[in-house]
Amino acid sequence: MTYFRATDPFPLESAEQNKLHEFYERLGQGRLVTTACARCGRTAWPPRGFCPECASDEFTWAELPRDGTVHAFTIQDTGLPQGFEAPRVFAIVKVAEARIFAPIVGPRATTVTVGSPVRLSPVRVADDARGSPRYLLAFEPVEAPA
Amino acid sequence: MRQVALVGAGVTKFGVRKASYRDLIWEAGKACFDSLPAVKPRDLEGLVVGSVMPERTAFQSHISSLAAEALGIRPSALSARTEHMCASGTVGIRYAYAFIAAGLADLVMVLGVEKLNQPVTDEAILNMGAGVDREWEACHGLTAPPCFALAAQRHMAQYGTTEEQLALVGVKNHTHAARNPTAHFQKGATLEQVLGSRMIASPLRLYMCSPITDGAAAVILASEERARDLTDRPVWIRGTGQALDGFTLSSLPEDYSRWPAMKRAADAAYRMAGITAKDVRLAEVHDCFAIAEVIAYEELGFCEKGEGGPFVEKGRADYGGDVVVNPRGGLMGCGHPLGATGVAQATELFAQLRGEAGPRQVANARIGLTHNNSGMGEHVVMIYGRDAA
Repeated sequence: MTYFRATDPFPLESAEQNKLHEFYERLGQGRLVTTACARCGRTAWPPRGFCPECASDEFTWAELPRDGTVHAFTIQDTGLPQGFEAPRVFAIVKVAEARIFAPIVGPRATTVTVGSPVRLSPVRVADDARGSPRYLLAFEPVEAPA
Repeated sequence: MRQVALVGAGVTKFGVRKASYRDLIWEAGKACFDSLPAVKPRDLEGLVVGSVMPERTAFQSHISSLAAEALGIRPSALSARTEHMCASGTVGIRYAYAFIAAGLADLVMVLGVEKLNQPVTDEAILNMGAGVDREWEACHGLTAPPCFALAAQRHMAQYGTTEEQLALVGVKNHTHAARNPTAHFQKGATLEQVLGSRMIASPLRLYMCSPITDGAAAVILASEERARDLTDRPVWIRGTGQALDGFTLSSLPEDYSRWPAMKRAADAAYRMAGITAKDVRLAEVHDCFAIAEVIAYEELGFCEKGEGGPFVEKGRADYGGDVVVNPRGGLMGCGHPLGATGVAQATELFAQLRGEAGPRQVANARIGLTHNNSGMGEHVVMIYGRDAA
């Protein structure tokens, strides 16, 4: 006899399971958005369903640029959870006013330095247990202009 | 408020243990009761258990009741579990302290326990992701090392802190751990070994990181009247403070080399104790990674901001220096069984302030501090004294 196991650390992104589902839907279309409080207008990162300033739970979606710059980064060589390949680049990416934590991916990921331009490059990961697609945030280095 | 003291303390061997979650509870309970023969399990009025992830590591919730039954404690005033990631143990001590200070209990055990190592090694690493935000961090494969690596990089860029200075924290704490029979690592470490160890997350190398460790620790807290009744050498809780800046990396202050919540927690504890950083002769600080100890020197007020690197380099954090930091061996030397760590720090203060720390004894220790954090923005500080306020 065995027990059934089905939880992983990827978020449940679908409308049935997450108030912020539109973030993921747009991410899947290659767009980056965040929440803006419908009452006081404050924008947040990460997106949130409750405003810490005015306690409103109504929000609209605000478009963010797809381009940002590396504000800080580290390269992890050892001790990554199974399924992630080393070396893995973790960065804080500045996009407009937001400081976004995300991995840098792609063949040139390890070439980034502080100040490097990067562009949104969402990654599709395992579907959830009901078969809904799941996308995660990631950025890729932008080719330096020739 | 009533005065509160530690009157008993015990700790298990830390390491990759051939023991179950409940075995560790039994061991820590036994060691703690052995330190205070006048008290039997039935005498305790309460139990607080600090434990982070037994749901993942032992398929077990309902922890305080499990531990109470395992140890024969029948709580009549307080039974609770505290979960605050790596600071769960000290958060538990604060609860018991507050209950006793308020007059709601007289005699309470706080036990911290974690069984992190798993039959499948990858599961132990996966579980570490449960301590960061699932939706915005853990999903990317984030665990603690890259977070603290970002702080280290910032500190190096901002203040010129060197890789060698970070390595010296590892050398010091591994050297201390070699004098602690309960430590995970007891072989010490040279500067060459630390600098030559494999890279985990740049610039943090293996010997600048705490390992995945199993262990448990327990202390007994008592009201002043009970404490004086039970022992002629109680160790008094003189101050406590806790402060948070944020949970996710994105919400923390932009400069990761500054941890203002630690300074606020320390200032609150110093104020309550009526002391300053200069009065502290020994400190058990949360060196989950070498950079955390360097920043702790600064935010706890042992040196100026940015001077943490030179502080360790000049030996000011070691025996013969300004303040002996991590005489127990720290998290790097002893290991870091999450919920057990804060309680194990208290057991060291108990031994040190009673003059029972053997080869690790800090001479003339009258006031000591523990610092426990859960991430870079969440901090808890306790001040203990040989003398009551």
